[in-house]
Amino acid sequence: MNDYCEKAKKILPCTDENGYYEIRMESIGGLGANLAGKMLGELGALHMGLNVSSFSSYGSEKKGSPVRAFVRYREGEEEILRNAPVLSPHLLGIFHEAMAKSYPVFAGISAQTQIVLNTRMSGREAAEQYGVQTGTLYCLDAGNLARSCKCRLNMVMLGAMAAASGFLAIEGLEKLGQESIGKKYPDLWKANLAGMEKGYQAVCDRQGFLCGKEGRQVEQLPQSPAGCGLDSMQEPYAGSFKGVIGGMNPAAGNSVQNNLSAGREGFIPVFHPEKCIQCGLCDSTCPDMVFRFRPGIYKGMDTMVNHGPDYQYCKGCLRCVNVCPTQALTKGEE
Amino acid sequence: MEQQETVFANGNELAARAARQIRYHVMGYYPITPSTQIAENLDMWRAEGKTDIRLIAAEGEHSAAGICYGASAAGGRVFGATSANGLLYALEEMPVQSGTRMPMVMNVACRTVSGPLCIKGDHSDIMYLLNAGWLILFAPRPQAVYDMNLMALKLAEEFMLPVAVAYDGFFTSHQKRKCKVFSQDRTVQEYIGSFTRRENALNVENPVTIGSYMGEKDILQNKYELHQAMERAGGRIQPVFDEYGELSGRFYKKVEGYRTEDAEAVLVLLGSAFETAREAVDELREKGTAAGVVTLLVLRPFPAKELWETCRHAKVILVGDRQDSYGAGGGNLSLETRACMQRFGYGGKILARVYGLGGTDFYKEDAVRLFAACREETACDFAYYGAEALDKNPEAGKENALRPGDMTPGLTSCSYDSEEQVMRVKGGSVRETLAMPKRLACGHGACPGCGIPVNLNLLMRGIEGNVVFVFHTGCGMVVTTAYPKTSFRVPYVHNLFQNGPATMGGIIAVFEEKQRRGEMPEGQITFVMVSGDGGMDIGLGSALGAACRNQKMILFEYDNGGYMNTGYQLSYSTPYGAKSATSHVGKDGFGKDFFHRDTAQIMAAAGIPYVATVAESNPADFIRKAAKAAAYANGFGMAYVKALSACPLNWNDKPENEREVVSAAVDCCFFPLYEVEQGTTRITYDPEEMGKKQPVTDWLSRMGRTRHLLREEYAEVVKALQLEVDRRYARLKEKAQKP
Repeated sequence: MNDYCEKAKKILPCTDENGYYEIRMESIGGLGANLAGKMLGELGALHMGLNVSSFSSYGSEKKGSPVRAFVRYREGEEEILRNAPVLSPHLLGIFHEAMAKSYPVFAGISAQTQIVLNTRMSGREAAEQYGVQTGTLYCLDAGNLARSCKCRLNMVMLGAMAAASGFLAIEGLEKLGQESIGKKYPDLWKANLAGMEKGYQAVCDRQGFLCGKEGRQVEQLPQSPAGCGLDSMQEPYAGSFKGVIGGMNPAAGNSVQNNLSAGREGFIPVFHPEKCIQCGLCDSTCPDMVFRFRPGIYKGMDTMVNHGPDYQYCKGCLRCVNVCPTQALTKGEE
Repeated sequence: MEQQETVFANGNELAARAARQIRYHVMGYYPITPSTQIAENLDMWRAEGKTDIRLIAAEGEHSAAGICYGASAAGGRVFGATSANGLLYALEEMPVQSGTRMPMVMNVACRTVSGPLCIKGDHSDIMYLLNAGWLILFAPRPQAVYDMNLMALKLAEEFMLPVAVAYDGFFTSHQKRKCKVFSQDRTVQEYIGSFTRRENALNVENPVTIGSYMGEKDILQNKYELHQAMERAGGRIQPVFDEYGELSGRFYKKVEGYRTEDAEAVLVLLGSAFETAREAVDELREKGTAAGVVTLLVLRPFPAKELWETCRHAKVILVGDRQDSYGAGGGNLSLETRACMQRFGYGGKILARVYGLGGTDFYKEDAVRLFAACREETACDFAYYGAEALDKNPEAGKENALRPGDMTPGLTSCSYDSEEQVMRVKGGSVRETLAMPKRLACGHGACPGCGIPVNLNLLMRGIEGNVVFVFHTGCGMVVTTAYPKTSFRVPYVHNLFQNGPATMGGIIAVFEEKQRRGEMPEGQITFVMVSGDGGMDIGLGSALGAACRNQKMILFEYDNGGYMNTGYQLSYSTPYGAKSATSHVGKDGFGKDFFHRDTAQIMAAAGIPYVATVAESNPADFIRKAAKAAAYANGFGMAYVKALSACPLNWNDKPENEREVVSAAVDCCFFPLYEVEQGTTRITYDPEEMGKKQPVTDWLSRMGRTRHLLREEYAEVVKALQLEVDRRYARLKEKAQKP
């Protein structure tokens, strides 16, 4: 711990060996983790007297693809030197539960980590389901709360994370939101304010589930300091590159191995084959080619027959539901 | 010290703020990640009435640099921003700017240079600027971006030289930090002072010729003057830094060292990695290792003496290069460090390590490992840090590739009626063509509801046989080819987006030549060049070139009306009045302030055999036109097909409604469906005739990006758009009626 923290009035409940308190949010594009990170940054920097950095994982601007948001706090004016992603968060917000199946969202948590998970499960169930062995887990159905308040999910999560942190004042977040969103869209802000408070309350109302008092979950984020020891630096690199030179990809169409279900936001098209007239309009509007048409017989005629959507690729856009002339496709909850 | 306030902002926002406070006359720009936020912020402030900088969205970086050049030749204060390939595309303008001694300030949010395409940060772009005669400042943190932007202009105008302010893309450009800025614009303006130059293109009283044609000796003299100016500037940078320090309380040095006084091992790192390494230095010092780290805040003129003074006592210097000068034994930073240390007679060891390419994160642990290399007796002179054989490289597996036989189900065919000079299509119905295997595989990463795959699939349904794709940079390529995956089941090539039709031209030339020489079997391939509307901005020249050569390809444009891949900046196809990240709405802005480009008519004017517009809302028409385009591309020459392509993310509407929104664009005649076949215009769907014609407001009301236009205050904007749409449609009908 640095001297400054000893002397000054401490705000941060815990820090790592260099005096950082670190926050990570795991989300998909479109749920507002980026804005949530920005708000936590502003809260610390402009209203709590902390030194702060905030940023997101960088990539192209796609909805539904994984996004991480990071915030770093340090007491007072202590310089923030780190630029790299947060590996060992003190506060972890998981906006989108489906990611837990395919991404290391719990990577780097330790006994001091407060985890907020958007789920319908209880803390005990979730800890068991996802193998969370350390830290304190707060579970809330943020999606449902957001729907009930007609607000954005990130506001519910922000409220919940503030409560779980034990030191982030919800009043500060409310003031921030009022200044930015509230001024421009007063009605919208009212709903979001209610959502934030619900999130806050949901965490206050129940105790966090203690997953473990020691240890650290070591699963690594992609691009953490690689296991590249000194060996690769002793000799001019002559690695055994297995691919085709020039970054060419000979594996034609291998994106079929991808699973895109984690990008959905809770809705899917439900197929009712008995109503289908094999018109193919669903296939003509589906960006993700999920409909499996195969040669077959319909009403005694040889034709391409719809065998319904392959949910591995469905992103839940519901274009097909809108164009289906016979309601053979309807909107359903996952 | 002048009055300052605390803001929570990133490097790009601070560069924009500095520009606003300076009150430049002109910014010429073209969006490119990660520098785009600068223009976006300025545009937002322009709409809010907070800045009057004239922002010009060029159709490419080359033109953006041209705008900047013209503006400085006219005696204006000029500002620019770019990254990576944008800088390279503009590169030929850079020595013009310096050689004719035109001051300006350009921010470079450093990013790796393609290809293969990557948008993340390293220093491979900025190092191309080393020989251009520009001063180059490098800001290691967001605060320095603000400060250097102010000092840069001071230096630029004192020495009549252009200045680049470089900083790490994303790490510095996008990380928000607590920073200080001057509270009053007046403080900034008093600091930079006024600028007038007698020699300028607008001085009609005293005419001057700018950009002479020169012979040998004169060029030698011109370059010598440039060299001298650079040398003189080298001597003034530190005083300028010091004066600014008095004003701001923030003192900079050309070379910043951290705990280097007694360091035995010193890392030399440019940009944000310096900050990270400081933490490693503290950690190593606690364990008794005499480590230090150095960064350069100036790259041109190279601060040789200062660097030597900072590092001279170290036994080992390790230079981290965030780029490589391939074949030279290091990146430019290490090469120049070696040269400089040798010049001053340094006797220690210097190592070079390439690290952090393509935005690979640099952690404290990485810095610790680099220090460890310094202690290794056997450490080699130059190596890559962190490069390793990844096991994720894709291996050829033919199971999902399409073979020639798979793609000829015989569902659609064309025959040419030479009497009528029209192509006749048989088959091609939506239901029947379900049997056409898709050239695009499932599992791509487009946003939910994206129109691009929808349009590509409809196009491909009508095209029998082999297909070879070239894609411009854009959403379409980014979401389909993220290594080690690809969604393409047929051959595919990406090239940068001012060059696709030319690239395809080269492919076709080899195809034809190899067949002619008997090096390739007979047989047809339909060559399909796919571009977004952005590619038709920056690549219009390439497209028209291919059209004038009448090369046998389909040029397919998916037009979603904006630069969606980079967060929706305006393109020339963006509708009049639509808001975007570079056409904000506010008291001084109603959205995009010029009409959408009529690309189909431009391509038709080039005289190619087939031009068509298509929409997913009329799928059968779409498929038939695709078949015709392929027939023309195979037998006659170039076919151009343009689809209006939905973008729920940036049109700001619901994904499930996109077909209706596209349909509304067609029904209001904003996007009329027609074809120009061998010069003859035919409207294939006439909303007026069908009794479906709607006012443009019907379409505008369906998208968040245009919904504001329905408010009373924008009535004039809507009226102007309606007039333009009607005028274009009337002209089209005239053409159709009088072939």
